[in-house]
Amino acid sequence: MNSADIDAVYTELAESIARVGEAKTHLFLATLALDLLSRQANAEAALEYILKAERLAKI
Amino acid sequence: MRSAPSFPDEVPVLIVGGGPVGLSAAALLGRYGIDCLVLEADPSWCEGSRAICISRRSQEILGWIGAEQALLAKGLSWVGGRSYFRGTEVLHFEMPSERAQRFAPMINIQQYYIEQFAHAAALRTGRVDIRWSARVSTVRPQSSGVQVDFQTAEGRGRTVRADWVVACDGGRSTVREQLGLQLEGMQYEGRYVIVDIEQDTRREVERLAWFDPPSNPGSTILMHRQPDNVWRIDYQVAEHEDAAQAVKPENVLPRVQAHLDMIGETEPWKPLWISIYNAKCLTLADYRSGRVLFAGDAAHLVPIFGVRGLNSGLDDAGNLAWKLALVQQGRAGETLLDSYSVERVLATRENIAYGAKSTQFMAPPHRGFALMREAALRLALESPGVRSLINPRQTLPVEYVDSPLNEPDSGAAFRGDLRAGMPAPEARLRTLQGAGHLTALLGGGFVALYFSDSPHLPASLRPLVERPQPGVAALRLVRVATHGEPDERTVVDERNQAWPRYDAAEGTLYLIRPDGYVMGRWRGAAATAAGISQALRRALLETDDEQR
Repeated sequence: MNSADIDAVYTELAESIARVGEAKTHLFLATLALDLLSRQANAEAALEYILKAERLAKI
Repeated sequence: MRSAPSFPDEVPVLIVGGGPVGLSAAALLGRYGIDCLVLEADPSWCEGSRAICISRRSQEILGWIGAEQALLAKGLSWVGGRSYFRGTEVLHFEMPSERAQRFAPMINIQQYYIEQFAHAAALRTGRVDIRWSARVSTVRPQSSGVQVDFQTAEGRGRTVRADWVVACDGGRSTVREQLGLQLEGMQYEGRYVIVDIEQDTRREVERLAWFDPPSNPGSTILMHRQPDNVWRIDYQVAEHEDAAQAVKPENVLPRVQAHLDMIGETEPWKPLWISIYNAKCLTLADYRSGRVLFAGDAAHLVPIFGVRGLNSGLDDAGNLAWKLALVQQGRAGETLLDSYSVERVLATRENIAYGAKSTQFMAPPHRGFALMREAALRLALESPGVRSLINPRQTLPVEYVDSPLNEPDSGAAFRGDLRAGMPAPEARLRTLQGAGHLTALLGGGFVALYFSDSPHLPASLRPLVERPQPGVAALRLVRVATHGEPDERTVVDERNQAWPRYDAAEGTLYLIRPDGYVMGRWRGAAATAAGISQALRRALLETDDEQR
């Protein structure tokens, strides 16, 4: 993706979060994450993303 | 008129508002041979530094009025910036720049200097009469002009009749209100306090941004250096904070001190100016209303993030001045002024789209954007691919897509990204005066760039140099050669920059508008004086309603 694509995806995700509402935000993001992780080549790659996100969330 | 003590009863052009846009428009109109009266409600140049980032395009426009040297002598040039999340750098961006360029991508300078330079430039033309403390009260459009009532500095009521009024009277435009016109669009809730302080510093000139810095947890802070040892500091105000409280020195100064401490700027300092701001995306639907034309903040309000405010206002002035001059001199039909509105409304829509993107990051409008920004800043620590999200998307000249003035290409096809309706690309050239730049040829009238290595002008182009027109209607033919010696009509592209940037072949011809935009281009046998004359006639005299 080029920077314009990333920009468009970022904006759409932000708007989606607002649309699903606060109570459903966790569910929405977990569904999205699982969908994307299930498309990884193998579990190892998926686990790397999980650990990275966990590390960054603790900052 | 000039500096006559009494006010004129009639003027060709009345400019309401003597801010940077009004004064620049006056200087350009004066240069193009039009007498103008400028009425400014305030007693002098603005207080506080206000707009401070002047884009390369704006520097070019200020160059047309002869303010280039003053601007470059005073301003601080810069090419990039850094953004930090907490204490860690997450973005280092650089704007396009090249060696020995005429202008840096951006310079920082206080708005009152721009006003001073434009004021001096306007007076140098000998055609501009500027009156301070003159407050417009009533605007009465008529079929072939406008009657305007105003109060003089001495409190006396006066009336002036103008063929044309250019409204440059800012966001709370009296002219706009008098005509019953409304800005359309939306505002953002997120507010920023703007503080200027005076402090000695040796720091590099860059755009600096901190997200959630230890000095002010949860806030966003921007810093820019200005001339005279002045820092511009912008910081985001928390949602619950009251605007009147937020600008009180006792609330502002400790936050500034904490941040200066954090970044190690320890010299003594004092505050100069404090203001508060929220992002707005507002525009008039049309910048022409009969004999009244709107420019700058009177026409549109765009977010500060990306510095499109004053810069777009100067572009308005640059776009409008040559058109209004040609119409006033009877060399173009009134409909040419509709192209001003078409082109600049398009520019505003683009500026608003970019400005809104920047604002969504700098002042997230809802929890979706707030949460995504938290994620993007963290991810940016480790994933360079997302760092572009943090980029402030600084202003760039806008392409006038589908402008009625754009001439379709003639002759063999052109390659590359350049098209009619885009700014003429820069190139370093050798000129009779020594090392020079292509853009320095622009801004005075029409320019025909003729790319050729033959010193003999073909007969089909000779009419272009045989019947010179006066003023801004003048068309200057400049031959761009790949080698050889420059002369009065020839520049040499010895670094091979111009030819590739214009996708030129022997005999390629470009017609550049007085505001530096490409109007049309021709190749081979299609490159004739007749082709250019026809394009000019069509644009200036025959642009009818259908083509609007």
